[in-house]
Amino acid sequence: MTTVLSTPKDWPSILLGRVGTTGAAGRVRGKGTPPPDLLADAAGALDAALAGGAFAGLKRAVHDLGATGTIATLAASGLRGRGGGGYPTAEKWRAVAGTDAARRYVVANGYGADPAVQTDRHLMEVDPFAVVEGTAIAAFAVEADEAFIAVRADSTEAIRRLEAVVAAAEEANLLGRSMLGSGRTLTIRVRPVQGAYMLGEETVLLKALEGRRGQPEQRPPYPSERGLFDQPTVVQNVQTLAAAAWILANGPEAFTAVGAKGSPGTILVGVRGPAGAGIAEVPLGTPLREVVALAGDAGSLKAVLVGGPSGGLLPASLLDTPYEFDALRAVGAHVGSGSVVAADERACVVDLARLLTRFCADEACGKTIPCRIGTRRIFEIGDRIATGVPRPTDLQLLADLSADVVASALCDHERLATLPFASGMRYFRSELDEHILRSSCPAGVCRPIAVAAAAGAAGRAH
Amino acid sequence: MIKLPGLGLARGMALSLRRIFEPKATIRYPEVPADVATKFRGRLQLLYDEWGTLKCETCFQCAQACPIECIDMGGIDTKGRYHVHWGPPETYGERRDESAMRRSGRPVPNRAYAHFEGIDLGRLDEILDEFDYDPRHMLGILEATQAAYGHLPVAALKRISHRTGAWYAMIYGTASYYRHLRFERPDDAAQAAAVQANRPAEGAFVAGLDAALAGRAGRAQA
Repeated sequence: MTTVLSTPKDWPSILLGRVGTTGAAGRVRGKGTPPPDLLADAAGALDAALAGGAFAGLKRAVHDLGATGTIATLAASGLRGRGGGGYPTAEKWRAVAGTDAARRYVVANGYGADPAVQTDRHLMEVDPFAVVEGTAIAAFAVEADEAFIAVRADSTEAIRRLEAVVAAAEEANLLGRSMLGSGRTLTIRVRPVQGAYMLGEETVLLKALEGRRGQPEQRPPYPSERGLFDQPTVVQNVQTLAAAAWILANGPEAFTAVGAKGSPGTILVGVRGPAGAGIAEVPLGTPLREVVALAGDAGSLKAVLVGGPSGGLLPASLLDTPYEFDALRAVGAHVGSGSVVAADERACVVDLARLLTRFCADEACGKTIPCRIGTRRIFEIGDRIATGVPRPTDLQLLADLSADVVASALCDHERLATLPFASGMRYFRSELDEHILRSSCPAGVCRPIAVAAAAGAAGRAH
Repeated sequence: MIKLPGLGLARGMALSLRRIFEPKATIRYPEVPADVATKFRGRLQLLYDEWGTLKCETCFQCAQACPIECIDMGGIDTKGRYHVHWGPPETYGERRDESAMRRSGRPVPNRAYAHFEGIDLGRLDEILDEFDYDPRHMLGILEATQAAYGHLPVAALKRISHRTGAWYAMIYGTASYYRHLRFERPDDAAQAAAVQANRPAEGAFVAGLDAALAGRAGRAQA
């Protein structure tokens, strides 16, 4: 089960602010009568949630702002996509609303591909109202009459709760035919998808919803131009949509007051450290040091892996970097899946990077050659270094190959899959040199000398 | 022919002189498009590696992309179980086996050509009817088929291809991409384990990550 880490009192709570008042999670904090359980009494839970402020944003969008006003409000809030890319949400919606297609779609990406963090799933479990509301707001703003919420098929709890909320909201005329008396029709479907890591990428997710092989498409054209069934499609992470619902209800000024200047708001982060692991809501722009500290005292911190399996390895000297889209990209990491992993002296950077690259290579869909073969070769080079049989040119080869893979990449998976070793070479060069020149692992993990004799056989087996 | 000293030289020089003033055939390729038929996509060639093995992975992407559908392609899947064929089945049906054998260009284990076992198609037809024979719901059809039969039998895939009009190779590609879809019976433990080993589960990654953080070599997948 997911642990929610306690955050400092003065940190604002946007995404998880309503937890306990909606009856969604069944775990109630504070006093008063607990709201009815969502799965047992959906209508009662919806009433309780409405009293707690759910669907206020949707009502405001439909009754007061209209479609263009909704997008203008979002633009004023400066909300950026939480899926890792950090693309301005309002621009995406404006692009879709500006097309002259007959049909448009909204897809809420709740897949949460990174197996090590469960932030999206947690949000859908504790506050499915916000996710459904945000999806409805997006559909209203871009005039889509069909929306999908894509959830991992193994998150059965989240699927049941979302379906209960959608059904109850349709019953209460918040969704469905002539929603809120606006004359617009909106159908929201909860679609379980499963079976591949790559489904987190937006074009791959659209392929899965179309029932096809999950391989990414060239962008542009972006999904906002040609997406699901070749129609303009808004694809947003569920956290973005929940934040959009909050902005519509509380106003853009309240939102810009939180977080960093360039990227306001909060984000859910999965922190994993030697002392513990869990999920926390973190205002964007918080120094990395404070994010890492949420999981408990990290002790002698050596490296921080930011961004999931394709994340960058940052040294302890960069712990003052703000946790925010642009700053992280500048130092060679990315927000990605919202995963922050702290590694102490026991971990070896080469071993860690090799593990991450192996995972990325295994999960590659095979569409493009730089990804299918390039990431595999990067892993093999890392494996040679770790097992103590490096070639003299391996570091140069690693740098060149990473640059080539990035330059010829089709989707972000391969572009970012080079990050573990690229950032490892950038910040932990001495540790790599130790492996290559002295055949020794400072952390004592790789034991190259002991393994070197068997490495020839292992190398041939690959 | 009279042999005059210097005649060949003169002829050669004359040819050179003529060619100098002819329009150039070389173009600055990516900037200037070549003057070829609009559907021309280059010469097709299969490459071999240094051990003489065909490099083609039978991924069917070339056949899928070919705008004039001139690529007729067959081969066995990467695990040597079934052969798959790209092309309209009604055109190639009768020579599918030998075509696949010939074109894949490598020794093919016989079991790939063993007769697939028959199944009761009644349930499958109900499923197809439910999805309106729409290939756009292929993932849903495949999931429902697996729920009904426990795995995806070859006979079912062929039936789906026949009734929906989707190419067998396309269905096979979709089915082999998603990790939760399987071609083996779940009770065939050895084969299922082999598939699992080939596609490491996500749980192994988390376990490996934990191991790497704790200072043990993160090789849970190896």
